[in-house]
Amino acid sequence: MADSVDRRRRLILGAALSGVATKAFAQAGSSPPPARAPSSMRLEPLRYVDAGVLNIAYYEAGSVHGPVAILLHGFPYDIHSYVDVAPQLAAQGCRVIIPYLRGFGATRFRDPATLRSGEQAAIGADVIALMDALGVKRAVLAGHNWGGRAACVAAALWPDRCAGLVTVNSYLIQDLARATAPIGPQYEAALWYEFYFQIERGRAGLAASRREIARILWEQWSPDWDFDDATFERAARAHDNPDYVDVVIHSYRHRFGLAAGDDRYAGLQRRLTPLPPIAVPAVTLDGDADGVLPASDGRASAAKFTGRRVHRVVPGAGHHLPQEAPEAFAAAVMELVKA
Amino acid sequence: MTEQAPASSASRAPSSKRLEPLRHVDAGVLNIAYYETGPADGPAVLLMHGFPYDIHAFVDVAPQLAARGCRVIVPYLRGYGPTRFRDKTTPRSGEQAALGADLLALIDTLGIQRAVLAGYDWGGRAACVVAALWPERCIGLVSLNSYNIQDIAKAMVPARPDREVPLWYQYYFQLERGRAGLAANRRAITKLLWQQWSPGWPFDDACFERTAAAHDNPDYVDVVIHSYRHRFGLAEGDPQYAELQRKLAAQPPITVPTITLDGEEDGVALPTDGRASAPKFSGHRVHRIIPRAGHNLPQEAPEAFAAAVLELIKA
Repeated sequence: MADSVDRRRRLILGAALSGVATKAFAQAGSSPPPARAPSSMRLEPLRYVDAGVLNIAYYEAGSVHGPVAILLHGFPYDIHSYVDVAPQLAAQGCRVIIPYLRGFGATRFRDPATLRSGEQAAIGADVIALMDALGVKRAVLAGHNWGGRAACVAAALWPDRCAGLVTVNSYLIQDLARATAPIGPQYEAALWYEFYFQIERGRAGLAASRREIARILWEQWSPDWDFDDATFERAARAHDNPDYVDVVIHSYRHRFGLAAGDDRYAGLQRRLTPLPPIAVPAVTLDGDADGVLPASDGRASAAKFTGRRVHRVVPGAGHHLPQEAPEAFAAAVMELVKA
Repeated sequence: MTEQAPASSASRAPSSKRLEPLRHVDAGVLNIAYYETGPADGPAVLLMHGFPYDIHAFVDVAPQLAARGCRVIVPYLRGYGPTRFRDKTTPRSGEQAALGADLLALIDTLGIQRAVLAGYDWGGRAACVVAALWPERCIGLVSLNSYNIQDIAKAMVPARPDREVPLWYQYYFQLERGRAGLAANRRAITKLLWQQWSPGWPFDDACFERTAAAHDNPDYVDVVIHSYRHRFGLAEGDPQYAELQRKLAAQPPITVPTITLDGEEDGVALPTDGRASAPKFSGHRVHRIIPRAGHNLPQEAPEAFAAAVLELIKA
């Protein structure tokens, strides 16, 4: 099994990297240090605020008068993806806000009747609701995975609220109309969990084995990252949220058009369907050891960024880029803060 | 219960010959294409291939059995190679009862009273179904991965996550995206599964293509997709097999003499000590783990597979 996973990884990375990595690497200028063990601190204390349909738990650091950076985590991660990014930004004068997404950590739905949707419009709307609740007019939005998608949605639909965008894996708004189009089998195999979650066996499997599934995905997506048990457990605790399974399953079914969205986001999803361009300044990052979304040279997504956009491949980093290469991620945020 | 097979039976490059000429016979709902070798009056052996393979899984097993006096019959399953459905309205089912019924129809048509049934993957399942439901037709059973009859009522019970990962294709095939992917990329999917399931097997392009050509069958995608949906209870069965499936739902025991084989390096179904499936074999049963063999065991370790068949014939 380990052999076949390694082989698949080599296939994915080999196909993706031939010819493009060196050029993109050169664009990065000063090469950030490769993956390293993250710090063991916890992002505490948490704060709580009613924001839209949620009571959002978040960590805040830095000067309340500083430029705001909102750092958005992904699946199956939590706010500690930014454990080594947040202090760097705070030290440079930013007001750093790191919320738990819906379904994660101490964030809760305010109404038991609200659909536990994981759709892209919902997680984007949650970001704007948080900014509204905190009185933040504009912020740099930075994220990866689900959090990068939330940042892209907010940047595309509310550009006046977004001072700049940092995403891992470039333009992340889902093209639901193309979700039924197959891709190369080696890339499909890496999406095993997405297909698994389509059937009730996958829901039961996630409910019974959320840690084991998360650990497999961490290992597959960040093959070179040497995380320890304490690092994993610190994040995995956030998956004990009572809405985690529902939100995750809904997210992966909705993106294939196999679950209906929450009606309250239907208008937003209609605006996302044509894949709106992102006009705000953007820095996009790919990890050159990303085991689920191979690093790209950024060209395929270039048309989606109509403002200034810089793309970088970060050497040694996997999919969990903010935690694996925090200097590279923090540097991207600071460039947009200063721009 | 578990015997250690000799290490000399490890993986090797298969022979490059083709199993030809083929014969064709109307059998049940199919016109079955099959290869036959060995004396017509010898003890009959049916060798049943799996997914995503073809009859050439037995390219190095068949000659050994023929040389020892067996009548060896190697059919293409429904959806594979030149085997065809006789009626265009027959549902392209890949359910386990259909595979078993096809095997029974073939031995009926060929006038074979009793045979050793030997197979792996889908073919092992077909062999198990016939051995369980028509034991009087089965001299003995050779089955990779032991008892293969699906317990569909329990199909929604998750396995350990690390055992779910290799089943990515089964979950993929639940979606229309997976059907489209199989139709568009059948060779690429097959090659990936071969690599994942037989990590130590050095097959070459010609060996791969010889088999992959069998997947150009016009019914291949329909049969494969139906098979993987039916086993999760997510596709209706063909009504003509409903009664058989009812019997299989009870997980009937296998009473005939059986040799079960596991490949030590099987990348999709891990090798076992055979104990968990022991209650399902109420007759004499021997279990072996074949060193260095993967999931395509008959082609990777043909001596071990042929030896198991010959033991049942001599018994």
